[in-house]
Amino acid sequence: MTTNRNGEALIQVQHLGKSFGDLQVLKDINVDIYKGDVVCVIGPSGSGKSTFLRCLNRLEEPTAGKIFFENTDITDSKTDIDKHRQKMGMVFQQFNLFPHMTIMKNLTIAPMKLQGRSQREAEEEALRLLERVGLAERAKSYPSQLSGGQKQRIAIVRALCMKPDVMLFDEPTSALDPEMVGEVLNVMRTLAEQKMTMVVVTHEMGFAREVATRVMFMDEGYFMEENEPKEFFDNPKNERLKNFLGKVL
Amino acid sequence: MIDNFKASFYQNFIEDDRWRYIVGGLGNTLKITLFAVVIGIALGFLVAVIRSTYEKTHGLKLLNFLCRIYLTVIRGTPVLIQLLIIYFVVFGSVKIDKVLVAVMAFGINSGAYVAEIFRSGIMSIDNGQFEAGRSLGFNYRQTMVYIVMPQAFKNVLPALCNEFIVLLKETSVAGYIAIQDLTKGADIIRSRTYSAFMPLIAAAIIYLVMVMIFTYFVQKLERRLRSSDH
Repeated sequence: MTTNRNGEALIQVQHLGKSFGDLQVLKDINVDIYKGDVVCVIGPSGSGKSTFLRCLNRLEEPTAGKIFFENTDITDSKTDIDKHRQKMGMVFQQFNLFPHMTIMKNLTIAPMKLQGRSQREAEEEALRLLERVGLAERAKSYPSQLSGGQKQRIAIVRALCMKPDVMLFDEPTSALDPEMVGEVLNVMRTLAEQKMTMVVVTHEMGFAREVATRVMFMDEGYFMEENEPKEFFDNPKNERLKNFLGKVL
Repeated sequence: MIDNFKASFYQNFIEDDRWRYIVGGLGNTLKITLFAVVIGIALGFLVAVIRSTYEKTHGLKLLNFLCRIYLTVIRGTPVLIQLLIIYFVVFGSVKIDKVLVAVMAFGINSGAYVAEIFRSGIMSIDNGQFEAGRSLGFNYRQTMVYIVMPQAFKNVLPALCNEFIVLLKETSVAGYIAIQDLTKGADIIRSRTYSAFMPLIAAAIIYLVMVMIFTYFVQKLERRLRSSDH
């Protein structure tokens, strides 16, 4: 472990396992994620990357192990997961904006209904964040009027409006046309520079190398290798990782 | 021939104020349809929520089981048999307003179809919408109310209106428990005047016009929903 660790882990994953029927997707996952970490998870498709990410906020129910978020065991059935999800922003491959609401409504409904913020307060915050991603003039538009890249930037802002402590990205650029990937990665890069804790499942090796503080390689339900990006990409040790990097780089 | 028509018209509608059978019957038909629709939507909504909650979370097992029995029985038997059973068996020994019985029978019947319309609407919304809601911290109910249902309702509105049209026409069997609805009213005139053409065609035209007016509004509504389809 090479990165600086001050304080306790924001997320602790202990012996996490997930099976769908007989199919064991995650076998024994152990990882600590610290404040300010930008963790990029890479690996072949079907290796369990997305399932791992979705277990972190229990969109998938883990079948084994424990996950601690801010020192609370969120796999405990007594834990109010809805409360903790407010602190864990999630960005999906398919954007999943709410098509029946304007962009502004998309951004403000959760802060207003869940955090009791006033409409004015929520809208001011939303506008401030919209300006940061360069989409302030689209506040009154509907999602269908936006391009894919714009939708994904809005989806990131929607998660940020809840002021989360960690952001989870599930292949955020995989559904985008190539020319729109950059604008989304730029927003994510800015977030990383502002020390947002991020867990990113991605196929963008350039982004991982450049922005991540840690890169992890997942295959067959395990994390097979973890390192800081330079060492990870320049000097991979695991045979499968070498093989994988040989194919994608 | 025109004279013939005039005479027949007079005999069937004007003489002895027979038009009252038509107007009174129409009133009963509308009353039954309207209240049955309200019951049907309320009941259907409830059943759909239970069924889709079961499908999404595997909760409400017992209620879901009861709902499935309800759907199977109601959709598997003719509405006329249901009406007769409710009137002669369930309320056989009680004195009760027949129109109320018809409202209940058609409402319960319509509820089964409305339930499946609502359920298909809810299930047609991409699961990503549901997950996006949950990931923001909304609980199951909030996600349904704020995110899934508004989209589902918009999708099923045309099918819902269609169910209303079907129901309007189905109430024509209410005469079986001696309710004077539009159909029965026309039939009474036929039995008095021994001329079938005038009263039955008149009833048919009235049904047709009602359905056409309603269809017109539904189409307008659909166009508006499409134009705001974002």
